[in-house]
Amino acid sequence: MGGQWINPLHAVGSINQTILWELRLPRLLTAFAVGGLLALAGAWFQVLLGNPLAEPYVLGVAGSASAGAVVGLMLVPESAWVMSAGAFAGAWAGIAIVMFFSHLGANRMLLGGVVLAAFWSAVLALLLSLLPEQGLYRAFSWMMGDLSHSELPVPVLLLAWTIALTAGLILSRSLDTLLLGERHAEALGVDVKQLRRRLLLLASAVTALAVTAAGTIGFVGLVIPHLMRLLFGSLHRSVLPASAIGGGLLLMLADSAARTVIAPAELPVGVLTAIIGVPVFLLLLWRRS
Amino acid sequence: MRLQHTGTRCMKLAGVSVERAGRLLLSGLDCTLHTGEIIVVLGPNGAGKSSLLLALAGLISASGGIEVLGKPVSSYSRNDLTRQLAWQGELPPTEFGLSVRQRLELAADTISESIESTAAVMDIVPLLACPLGELSSGERQRVELSALMLRETPIWLLDEPTAHLDLKHQICSINMLKAQRDHGRAIITVLHDIQQAMAVADHLILIDGLGGAEYGAADVLFDSDRLSRLFDAPLVRHGTLLVPDYKGVT
Repeated sequence: MGGQWINPLHAVGSINQTILWELRLPRLLTAFAVGGLLALAGAWFQVLLGNPLAEPYVLGVAGSASAGAVVGLMLVPESAWVMSAGAFAGAWAGIAIVMFFSHLGANRMLLGGVVLAAFWSAVLALLLSLLPEQGLYRAFSWMMGDLSHSELPVPVLLLAWTIALTAGLILSRSLDTLLLGERHAEALGVDVKQLRRRLLLLASAVTALAVTAAGTIGFVGLVIPHLMRLLFGSLHRSVLPASAIGGGLLLMLADSAARTVIAPAELPVGVLTAIIGVPVFLLLLWRRS
Repeated sequence: MRLQHTGTRCMKLAGVSVERAGRLLLSGLDCTLHTGEIIVVLGPNGAGKSSLLLALAGLISASGGIEVLGKPVSSYSRNDLTRQLAWQGELPPTEFGLSVRQRLELAADTISESIESTAAVMDIVPLLACPLGELSSGERQRVELSALMLRETPIWLLDEPTAHLDLKHQICSINMLKAQRDHGRAIITVLHDIQQAMAVADHLILIDGLGGAEYGAADVLFDSDRLSRLFDAPLVRHGTLLVPDYKGVT
């Protein structure tokens, strides 16, 4: 059913209309919001950790969310809602631990986060090995990104997208200054400790929400901010809106492809984000050098 | 901003001690900085020169009394202190592709005219559009000095302003410091080159790395025996100059 084109103007009073307005549109909007949130989180983590390789899952939030989702799947195997609740709880458990690292410098925080991520992936492997066979497919498809089971209402996600972008824009001048390093930022009047705490909380909360809605979708959070820096420069008043929109568009495109390429089956959307995004990024990198 | 007349007290240090990672770097430093004055900090590697500047800039903690324009440094908010002190230190990272102009714009909310004119002093006008990552260390240092010149604070705290610079720009920045002093700027700067120090210092702070810190008039402290001991390296006097005795090192 994914291969059929529905003209919105003629989809009157039919099953097509229902599919368009109640399935396709909400899913497109979910993809847009989740992609935008992941790209924003990536941009924030890159500045927070002073490392261009940082991405939303770098501090282990995706691992703890996945572990939580699998616990949810074990408790109530048939409920997508319980799985999402598990992911959300897991993500926040991960964030709570990460917050203990917020006073450390960027490098030690990154190291701590990478170790935590390894810990969570071990916990996840343990849980998966205990999971009954019929749950495994569901768990794996969730872990590679799955927009078909989102339990979060679309307006909530769009509101989160708007709030996150607004908060980012309010902080954008401080974020620019942080690009000079913590000492320079502090010498220029930025309260670096407070900014780091805010940034960590904001980026983690946004990641938790994105993961709860759609599982773990790689690549968007790493590459979209870089792509936007290449296109629009490094200042956050351009990078953040461009990432929020660009990440959203990439995930919409990837999810539409994931849904239709081998319809009626679906590909994991995380595969498509990488397949679409990597060549575009490499092309830009190559043309700019 | 118009700077005050020469001779107004800008900073007062009373019994200042600085520790780093549990090690006492210097203790009991008393010193006064006035407008239109340059104090040069000298000492061997690891003695605590940079830490002293960070402490004076309120970026790390120190014990003892540090007053900025008559008020304890601890009584300032970060923002207010930023209006009184400018700090120049390590080169900023280059990973995120900021351009030279963007870096300068972050130094101060300022009109592009003054960016052009300070960039001209440091010969970096042709580099304004370049990403910082494409510059050499010396060019990046010139960008930092231009950024500093945009900071209209009465006090400058400088950690090796001539590091990485070629000869022409070492002279250029030393002359810039002198011109700034003559305009009433109060400057404390770490320098490694003794000739440069002699060219600009009104007073000296000598830090020996064993906890000792000495403050005094430049003409008294520029003494070959004293500095030879401080650096554990032979210095000889050539006329009015103190120069390292490379032959004396065995």
